[in-house]
Amino acid sequence: MGRFLIRRLLWLIPVMFVVAIITFVLMHAAPGGPFDKDPSQRQIDPTTQKQLNAQFGLDKEVWLDFSALMKGDIAGFFDTQFITYMFGGTVNGKWRCGFICGNMGPSFRQRGMMVQDIVLDPPEGRQAWDSKAGYSLRLGFIALLFATLLGIPMGVISALRQNTVVDYASLFIATSGVTVPNFVLGIFLIIIFAVGLKLVPVVPRSWDNPIVWILPAVVLGFGLLASTARLTRASMLEVMRQDYVRTARAKGLSQRMVVWRHMLKNALIPVVTVMGPAFAGLITGSFIIETMFGFPGWGRQFVLAIGQRDYSMIMATTLIFALIIQIANILVDLVYTFLDPRIKLS
Amino acid sequence: MKKFAMLAVLVASVAMIAVACGAPAAPAVVQTAAPIIQTVAPVVQTVVVQQTSAPVVQTSAPVVQTVVVQPTAAPVAVNKVLRINLGSYPDIIDPQKSSFVNEIAHLKLMYEGLTKFDTKLATVPGAAESWKYNDAATELTFTLRDGLKYSDGTLLNAKRFQYSLMRNIDPHTAGEYAAITDEIKGAPEWRGADLSAVSDDDLAKLQADVAASVQALDKSGQPCKEGEEGYAQADCNTLKLTFSKPAPYFHTIMGIWVAYPAKEENITEGGDNWWNSSKFQIGNGPYVLKTLEPFVRARFEPNANYWGGAAKVPIEFSYIADSAVSFQAYKNNEFDIIGLAAEDLATVKADPVLSKEANIFPGSCTFAVMFHQLKEPFTDQKVREAFAEALNRDGWVTDVLQGLGASTLTWIPPGYPGYETSTKWGFDPDLAKKTLAESKYGSVDKLPEITATFSDTPRNRTRYDWLIGKWKEVLGVDVKLNPVDPTTFTALTKDINTAPQMFILGWCADYPDPQNWLSVYWRTGGFGERIGYSNPDFDKLVNEADSTVDPAKRADLYAQAQNLLIDGAPVAFMWNNVNTYMIKPWVTGITTTPQDTDFPGSQDVESIDIDVSKLPQ
Repeated sequence: MGRFLIRRLLWLIPVMFVVAIITFVLMHAAPGGPFDKDPSQRQIDPTTQKQLNAQFGLDKEVWLDFSALMKGDIAGFFDTQFITYMFGGTVNGKWRCGFICGNMGPSFRQRGMMVQDIVLDPPEGRQAWDSKAGYSLRLGFIALLFATLLGIPMGVISALRQNTVVDYASLFIATSGVTVPNFVLGIFLIIIFAVGLKLVPVVPRSWDNPIVWILPAVVLGFGLLASTARLTRASMLEVMRQDYVRTARAKGLSQRMVVWRHMLKNALIPVVTVMGPAFAGLITGSFIIETMFGFPGWGRQFVLAIGQRDYSMIMATTLIFALIIQIANILVDLVYTFLDPRIKLS
Repeated sequence: MKKFAMLAVLVASVAMIAVACGAPAAPAVVQTAAPIIQTVAPVVQTVVVQQTSAPVVQTSAPVVQTVVVQPTAAPVAVNKVLRINLGSYPDIIDPQKSSFVNEIAHLKLMYEGLTKFDTKLATVPGAAESWKYNDAATELTFTLRDGLKYSDGTLLNAKRFQYSLMRNIDPHTAGEYAAITDEIKGAPEWRGADLSAVSDDDLAKLQADVAASVQALDKSGQPCKEGEEGYAQADCNTLKLTFSKPAPYFHTIMGIWVAYPAKEENITEGGDNWWNSSKFQIGNGPYVLKTLEPFVRARFEPNANYWGGAAKVPIEFSYIADSAVSFQAYKNNEFDIIGLAAEDLATVKADPVLSKEANIFPGSCTFAVMFHQLKEPFTDQKVREAFAEALNRDGWVTDVLQGLGASTLTWIPPGYPGYETSTKWGFDPDLAKKTLAESKYGSVDKLPEITATFSDTPRNRTRYDWLIGKWKEVLGVDVKLNPVDPTTFTALTKDINTAPQMFILGWCADYPDPQNWLSVYWRTGGFGERIGYSNPDFDKLVNEADSTVDPAKRADLYAQAQNLLIDGAPVAFMWNNVNTYMIKPWVTGITTTPQDTDFPGSQDVESIDIDVSKLPQ
């Protein structure tokens, strides 16, 4: 187990490096730059553009720009400057050590802000969990709870009561979840619960009120709920016909024991496989939900950064998301061993 | 079923716990969805503070503290707040670096320039009580009002404006609108210095040259003191600017955000992201920023130290970018002012109540079909004229813009100084065919391939399909479409070599002066050059106008220049945008102008109030 973990964690390094290179090449290959504006607006004059390019290192060779993003403006890896950079200092006013030290560089559009400050720093006078990352993590977690705690039982009951009203109802919900886009579901829920029943405000005045988290979490988690329910149902139906289930019943075990100990544990393997990347998807935020509910997460930053060509923000969010997805996959592999003792990690 | 019920309860509780974990240590004032939001008058508030630092095992009892919350400004009527949905959250709120409407909306509340614009878009005194040009319009002297203060009560004098202007020109700032003050002697040289190559001495010399052109003087005409002493000098009330060429319009430029006097010490202390904190955003405008919660809310209170007296009602900006949600929130009385999206227009018009709350008035932009004068077939003026005459602008406004626009045949939009009507190259299908026949191509089949390039959005697809359909219908020309990614479109249209053969583009006013429309855009070397427009006669007229002090003569020269521009048919002028807002009936004192691209009434925000008697119960 330990060796498996170390090996998987070491593998993160080349994977992240390749993701970084691909992202870097793609974003620089796209025409336009971070200082281009809507053509109806006054464009930046060439002199200012030149100053900005110099400030943000865009006047360098492209590969130098990549190296600057990765390791910052450091001459060598092991000189005294490096130590200063490591602890967050600046040398000669230049920016600090790059991605390898967790410094994602200055945002090209939100000028004066470092990318990590934008995503990780809470607003004035607030706690760390009120940062954009904190908000998205919390919403993703709630959505995951909503999806699994409702989706798995729905799938199980559907399978156990196959072709009954309960099964059809659950299938209806599951199919709706997969087919209804979240912006449609979002506005429907807003109209019903905020405008009609007035249980929550359309636009939350404060996210400190737990009630206002329900609608965005439901909208975010509904798709996963649907796929979890469908997958659990299909998987349970398959497991139900296995020999070991028949054996378990023949031994005289109670229905509860058969379902919980023997069927569900095995049926969950495909569900967990999907759940890992899906959870990564939930906590990395959603542009639509953040735009719709005015939710201060980090998903919007990622999408906007692409259009704005905010290079450091694109790199940062891509690498963070890549890291989260890989970690989620490692966790899934770990969960396998718990669900099926025959699976050995080596 | 019991299990289900238990499960549901479990989900709900876990979700609540997860959210509750994120609640701040000190509870904020309880907010409600009702339109009545917050009590601004002095209140005694009881705050329960849980001791968060104590270990979990030591369950200390909650500590009850009594806090007296004081108002920060002059007494404001209770339970009033103007809630505006601004749509998108700003990237940066720094007077010398901002450039977008939503960014400027914040700055305009917190700061004020030496001049400002009234509801007729005339330039009127702001922080300066008067200004004077020398005879050649190469020098401009502002005299500041007596007793000006920042919102924190500290002195505001000419030295502060000197700092702001210098910061705008400083090459280290690299503000997106830095070029707008290039008339100041020495500004282009200092601003354009190559910081990696120039020596410190040379840079200091360039800076000194600009400093000699931006002088803060005391009442006796002597330079004000340097450093902190200068900022504390009460009689430092004169700002003298020297230009490299006559600039009789410059007092208008001093009304826009680039010269707003943010405090040097706050910028230094706050570092590069000083603007992100209400602590450092201390301004001289009608409002004070109280809280800024990114992407959620900004709250502004009236500034009791504003020379014009405190505004009447606190303002809250929200940032809901989804227009459908914003509209629902408006209907639910959660916003007082929102932008009205085109897709909601039909609903609003059909509703007897909402239709009365819709405010649609002329905007600040003109849009035109641009023809690249150096690319065939638009090198031929007759072809350009024919394409212009084939466009039914009124049909465009009705069919495509759904009434949200006004057709135009000229460049400067109505409501702005310099606006004049024109009838040239208006819709006339027969004349269009005749004009095309008179071109050097003679007939449609001899025209080279014509492609219209556009930023690929669903809305633009509809628009361009309509356009090429009309050209096909009237002229029989097959125009091809080339949809490109929006940022690519911007990049293409920036350069004369890459600018497409044909595309729609507009220009929106930076400040209300014809110079901003004609000289800045169409003079050789300006933005119009990207489609190859360069007319020496036009340049001569605008150069003369730009250096003429007499307002009537100046206006006449600009009018001549605009006519010359229209005569050449470099583009087919198409439409002016409209500002579209929904305003609740209890919001009073709003006077709109075309420049209100942020929210209605923003040029005279001090007059806006809320009639409490009309608020829903």
